[in-house]
Amino acid sequence: MNAVALDSVSKSLGGKPVVRDFTLAVPPGERLAILGPSGCGKTTVLRLLAGLLAPDGGSIEISGQLVAQDGRNLVEPEDRGVGMVFQDLALWPHLSVRGNLEFGLKAKGVRRSERQSRMARMLDLVHLTDYAAARPAELSGGQQQRAALARALVTQPKVILMDEPLSSQDRELRLELRTEITRLQELIGFTLIYVTHDLDEAFHIAARVVLMRNGAIEADGTADETRRHLTSTSPSWLP
Amino acid sequence: MVKRAVLILAVAVLLVAGLAPVAAMFVRSLDVDGQFSLANYESLLVSGRQWTLLANSLALASLTTILALAIGVPLGVLLGRTDLPLRRALAVLFTVPLLVPPYIIAVSWFDVLGPQGFLSQISAVAAEHAAAWLFGLWGNVLVLTSVFTPVVMLLTMVYLKTVNPRLEEAGKLAAGWCRVLWGITLPLVWPGILLAAVLVFLLAFGELGVPMFLRFSVFPVESFTQFTAFYNFGAATAAAAPMAGVTLLVFALERALVHQGTVHIRFAPQGDAASVIRLGRYRRPLGLAAIALCFLMVAAPLVALVARSMSVGAYAEAFAKAGDSLVRSIEYAALGASLLAILGFLLGYMIQDRALKGWPTVDWLTIFLFALPGSVIGIGLISLWNRPATNFVYGSFLIILLGYVAQYAGVTSRITAAILGEIPPSMEEAAQLAGARWPRRVLLITAPIARRGLVGAWLGGYIFCLRDVGISIMVYPPGQDTLPVRILTRMANGTPELIAALCVVMVLCALVPLAVLGLLLKWRGTAR
Repeated sequence: MNAVALDSVSKSLGGKPVVRDFTLAVPPGERLAILGPSGCGKTTVLRLLAGLLAPDGGSIEISGQLVAQDGRNLVEPEDRGVGMVFQDLALWPHLSVRGNLEFGLKAKGVRRSERQSRMARMLDLVHLTDYAAARPAELSGGQQQRAALARALVTQPKVILMDEPLSSQDRELRLELRTEITRLQELIGFTLIYVTHDLDEAFHIAARVVLMRNGAIEADGTADETRRHLTSTSPSWLP
Repeated sequence: MVKRAVLILAVAVLLVAGLAPVAAMFVRSLDVDGQFSLANYESLLVSGRQWTLLANSLALASLTTILALAIGVPLGVLLGRTDLPLRRALAVLFTVPLLVPPYIIAVSWFDVLGPQGFLSQISAVAAEHAAAWLFGLWGNVLVLTSVFTPVVMLLTMVYLKTVNPRLEEAGKLAAGWCRVLWGITLPLVWPGILLAAVLVFLLAFGELGVPMFLRFSVFPVESFTQFTAFYNFGAATAAAAPMAGVTLLVFALERALVHQGTVHIRFAPQGDAASVIRLGRYRRPLGLAAIALCFLMVAAPLVALVARSMSVGAYAEAFAKAGDSLVRSIEYAALGASLLAILGFLLGYMIQDRALKGWPTVDWLTIFLFALPGSVIGIGLISLWNRPATNFVYGSFLIILLGYVAQYAGVTSRITAAILGEIPPSMEEAAQLAGARWPRRVLLITAPIARRGLVGAWLGGYIFCLRDVGISIMVYPPGQDTLPVRILTRMANGTPELIAALCVVMVLCALVPLAVLGLLLKWRGTAR
């Protein structure tokens, strides 16, 4: 059973096709990157998976459950068991780091003692134990990134989606954080789908890289295979 | 599912409170002795007096709009974009007349220019001329210009914040500030200025209290008189119909000119220090001019009002004769504001999220109802609710609250929509992916993040409910009048000192909550 399976998914926004005939299967525990130029439909694929958009056609399965089919979502985003790290991180500014983590656990009805232990473990994993009471605005860029990651992971989703989460960070921090993401994925074992337009980032984080162009898959293979494909085709959007 | 149901319920409340009464009024105007008839409209068209009323109403609204634009737009630019001294204090002071019932400003001007006003102590002849002038078209224009200029000023200031500073900076590389303002900034904020003009025109067109106090014949006064003095419901509704018609017409014109479906306010990223216009050698003269204008338009009449009220006896009498109305006003305004904050939040959410298909219509309806004369909504409410089966509404304060909800939902929904527009959608999406259902997301994430806007919406609702005259005076149940209505009805037989004291109390009721909130925000800002 695949962690995620998209079958002939299509989506138009504002009358313009953004995702076309997109078919992809991701086994559990895989680290997959979706790579492509701006506007190629990468983020739309993530939002379709999360249930924040409904596909126009095709079907989507998550952990073997059919969640979207024939133009409508069958399972709401809150019930899909998917975590997401947004490009702008979307940390709730009125809540502390602890509050950000606890929100999802409360929504899922996790008991208080269990909540405390899960939050403590997660804060420890992302090295934010000392900042549990801090508001997002009081954290550095890297700490905010870790808090967003911890929030996505604390409810123990099987699949984590990341939408260019490091794009606003400086180069040094990006290098540090992508190592951190890889470490956490290996430790916890969640399925990771990571969207980026940065080649280095994609090849560093993912074992498998899907190349997207004009809403469709152009190449799909191991990091080395995709790298070779890129070298041979030299697309114009590459730096 | 829950989200959809709640939002549909909110729209239903707006339709029942706002649209149904206007429709009922229109139907009632076509009913003469139980038969369909256009007799009310025929008599309206053939009566020469009605055409005079229309001419007076249009002249008053047009002149007020022109003057309010001429003063409000430059003032908005000066206070919103330049380094003018005391600009924050001036912005607050210029806004004061908008926060109180407009007729209080008329009473204030009466205390300056009236037969026993301050001018009479300087020159009896001048005062005689001034009093005659005050009780005519231009006197009404003067008062309504003081009241509604802040609408233009505030909307100009708000829309200026939506202009991306980079666009002006690009212009600044080739031209001075005057040319940039004229050629780039003002065309970009044109929809805001047009909206302000439309609102001022319609608010002046529908104003009841000022022309009633200054005895100037316009449609709202006619409609009110037909209803209260002669209880001629048909004539009252027929006189109200042109007001609704003009409101519709003006809005259609505005939409045709602006070509946009709704009023969207998106604040641009904060500009740097360069985006503030340095006035240089003009800073001091322009500052003095603004202070002088503020003194003339706001301070002088209000100081005259306070001076007139200055006796312990007047205030003791005021509390003895209108204490109950004062308490009721505050209660109704607080209740109305709370309802409006909730309804406005839901409608604003729907508009911002485009959550229901008919969101543009709902958005338009809230603004239309806001611009509709209060007396029209009042007559509509009576048409709809004055029946034995619904007397529990008509005979209680609920009818006033319905009127508030109908007329002022546009204020709170606009404030909420603007604030929600500043919150990235990812905030709520993150909560959704964390497992929270819609009520939890809205209550624990969206509303707390938008709390400042919600407090602002509540205060806006409170101020508008508190200052309301048009609806309250038409629908208040016996013995349940509000303070603005009590003052207006006391004017015929109260002493000028008593009326002035009552007006000062009214002004304080509006300003004190704002001052407290301002201090609280300042204190919290300092504490951080």
